[in-house]
Amino acid sequence: MRKTYEAAAASSKAAMNFTGNHAGATVQDNWLLSILKSSSNSAAEKQIVTRASRDSICVVCKGARFLCGKTRCPLMVKVNYYLKSVPLMASEDIAGVSPPSVFIGRMGYPHVYAGPLVPPIAEDTSLYDLPELWFGKSIDEIVGFRSLLVRGKHPVHVQKFNEAGKIVEQTRELALAENSVDIELNLTKKPRGSLFLSDDVQPFGPSAPIRDLHVGNARFDHRIEKAYYDTDLRALPAVLELYNRGVMVTRIQRAFSVGAFGVEKNRRLVPTRWSITAVDDIVSKSLAEQVKTFPEINEYRVYESRYLDNVFEVLMIPDIWRYEAMEAWYPGTVWNPNGKTTAIFSDYEGNNGRTTYAAIGGCYYSARLAVCEQLVKERRQATVIVLREARPGYIMPVGVWQVRENVRNAMRQKPFMFKTLSGALQFIADRFEIPLRRWILQSELLKNALFQKKITDFFAATQASAKAQA
Amino acid sequence: MFKLKVADAKLLRDMATAISILVDEATFKIDPEGLKLRAMDPSRVAMIDFEWPKTIFEEYVCAEPTRMCINISELLKLLKRASKDEAVELALDEKTARLEIKITGKYTRNFTMPTLEASEEEVPTPKITFNVKAKTTTQGLSQAIEDAQLVSDHVRVEADAEKLVLNAAGDLMGAMITLQKGSDALLDLEVKENSKATFSLSYLSEIIKAASATSDIATLEFSSDMPIRIDFQQTKEGKLTFFLAPRIETE
Repeated sequence: MRKTYEAAAASSKAAMNFTGNHAGATVQDNWLLSILKSSSNSAAEKQIVTRASRDSICVVCKGARFLCGKTRCPLMVKVNYYLKSVPLMASEDIAGVSPPSVFIGRMGYPHVYAGPLVPPIAEDTSLYDLPELWFGKSIDEIVGFRSLLVRGKHPVHVQKFNEAGKIVEQTRELALAENSVDIELNLTKKPRGSLFLSDDVQPFGPSAPIRDLHVGNARFDHRIEKAYYDTDLRALPAVLELYNRGVMVTRIQRAFSVGAFGVEKNRRLVPTRWSITAVDDIVSKSLAEQVKTFPEINEYRVYESRYLDNVFEVLMIPDIWRYEAMEAWYPGTVWNPNGKTTAIFSDYEGNNGRTTYAAIGGCYYSARLAVCEQLVKERRQATVIVLREARPGYIMPVGVWQVRENVRNAMRQKPFMFKTLSGALQFIADRFEIPLRRWILQSELLKNALFQKKITDFFAATQASAKAQA
Repeated sequence: MFKLKVADAKLLRDMATAISILVDEATFKIDPEGLKLRAMDPSRVAMIDFEWPKTIFEEYVCAEPTRMCINISELLKLLKRASKDEAVELALDEKTARLEIKITGKYTRNFTMPTLEASEEEVPTPKITFNVKAKTTTQGLSQAIEDAQLVSDHVRVEADAEKLVLNAAGDLMGAMITLQKGSDALLDLEVKENSKATFSLSYLSEIIKAASATSDIATLEFSSDMPIRIDFQQTKEGKLTFFLAPRIETE
C-alpha cells in the first residue's frame, strides 16, 4: 500500500506557500526522504512517497537556511507531527476518547463529509477541542495534540442527515456531549493525510472513511439539549440564549455544525468553518446592538496582547459604535510567504453594521465578539479598531480561535489611557514595526477619526479659532 | 394638551423619514405656534434644524409649551401604513405619556406608542459666515452626489464665480462634476470668496435623498473647511435645514 506524503501537495494553503509550482515531477534528489530516513522510522519510510517541486526554494534550503523568511521551517514542523501520527496510520481501528469533537467538511456542499475526531488516547481529552483553554500554549503543544485527532469521514447530504443512518446520528449526538466520550472508530482503510491546516479551523490529523462507529454513553449538556429538542425555536435565538447562559462559544459552534438548532424542517449540517464564523457573527451582532445603547467611553484607550507572534493593539475611540479589523502580514508569514513588503488588509462597519461578508474573513467576527464582550461588560460604547501584526514566528495557521482568545486576553488587561487620539496613535506606533502612516492610509475609521470634524467644533468658536483648530 | 392633524399622510411621513436619517429618538419642542426639532446625529457630525408652524396643519391645538420625545423609526413604521390621501391625527395623552396616531381613510386605525424621556439639551446652531450660496434643484443635486459616490466616499465641494464643482477622488478612480451657473441644475450662485470643503458622501447622500421627497429646491451654503448648510425649501411654510461638518485632511 502506498501512502503519499502531501507536504508539497495543495492539501492546505500553507503548503502552497513554499512551493511555487508543485505540479512538477517526483524529484530524485529528495531531501525530505533523506530527512525521513535519518529519523530511522522504517515503517514510515515504506508508506511515504515524497513530492517536491524542482524550482522550489525549499529544495535549496532543505529546511536549514530559512529562505522563506519564517523563523522555523513549516515543512519540518509538519514532518515532525506527521511522524508522530504515523502510529495512528497503522491501524484501521481506532479506540479512544473523543474530546468530543466532530468535523463537517465543506467540499462538495451540500454533499459533505461528516464524522468524529478521535485520538487513540484513553483518558480525558476534553482540552483537545476547547480553544477557550488554549491561550498561552505553544504552537507545538497545540499542534501536538491536535495532530493526534483522526478524522472519520462519512458522506451525507446536509439536509438529509436523518436518512443517513447510524453513523451520522451518533456523530450528531457526540457533538452535544458535555464531556469526553469513549469511541470505537472503524475505518475502511488506514487513515492518511498530513496535518490539516486552515486559517479558520483548528488543525487535525489524518483521515479515512468510516466503516462503523460505536459511541459510548454520553451525557448531554442540558442547556444545549433543551435547544436541541425544541424544534420550534429558531437557530438565532437558540444561539443567543445559550451564549447568555454561559455556554462556551466552542460548544455552541460544535452543536451548531451538526444542525442541533433551528426549526425542525430547516435544520441542516453546517461545515465546521462556516459554523465557527456563524456563531461569532450571531453573538457579536447581538452584543453590538446592546453596545449602541450605552454611553460612550471618556478617553482614548489601547489594549494589547501578544501570542503566537501575533501582536494585537486594540484602539478604542470615544465615539459611537463602529468597528474595524486590520491585519498586517510580514514578509515570510503564513499568508505572505514571498512578499517583499508587509501586506495590510482591513474591513470595517459603521454604526448600522454590515450585510456582506468581511473581506478579511472569519477573524473579523472573532475579534468583534471579543471587543463587544468587553464593552457590554463595562456598559460602554466606543469606536473600536483592532490592529494585528502577524510576525514571522507565526509559522502555521491554527484557526480563528487564536484571534478570539488573543483579543479576549487583550481585553482582560488594563488599558493604556490617553487624552488625545494622537497620544494613543503614538503609543501604537511605538509598539508596531509598521509605520503609523501605513495603518492610517489603510484604515477608514482612523481617517474618519482624524479628519472628520464634529458639528460641535463649530458651535461657540468664531471662524478664526475654528480654522486654527483645523 | 397637544393635538395635530394633517390632511395628507405623505407630508408627515416624508418629514419623519428626513428626521430619521440623523436621529432615532427625537425630542420635539411644541408650543402654541408650532413644533420644532433641532438635533445632532449620535456621532455629532451632522445636525437637523426643523420647524413646522401651526399654519401647515389642518388642525393644531397646543395649550402650553411642552417637549415630546418619540422613537422616530417606530413612528415611521406606523405612518408607512397610511396611503397618500389619508388623514393623520397625532394626539399626546399626557396622563399615560402615550402618543395616539389615528389614520383615517377608507377605514380608521388607531395606534398608540409610548413617548420617551425628553432631552433637555438645547442645541445651538453653528455660527458661520458663509462665502458661497448656491441654489440647486434637489434632483440635480442628488444626481451629482450619486455620480460622486461611484468613485469615493467623500467629496470636495468647490465654488467660484462661474460654477459649483464636486470633486471626488477614490483609491483608483476619480470624478469631477460641474454645475455651471445658470444651468438647469444650478439656479443661482453667489460667491463672496472662492471656497472649498470636503464632506462625507454617505451623510450627504442620505440627507439629500430623504429631504428631496419634501422639496424641489435646495440651497447650499458653505465656506472653506467649514460646515455646509443645506436648506430644503418647503412647499408649504416650514423649515428643513441640515448642517454637516467637514472633513479636513491634514498630513
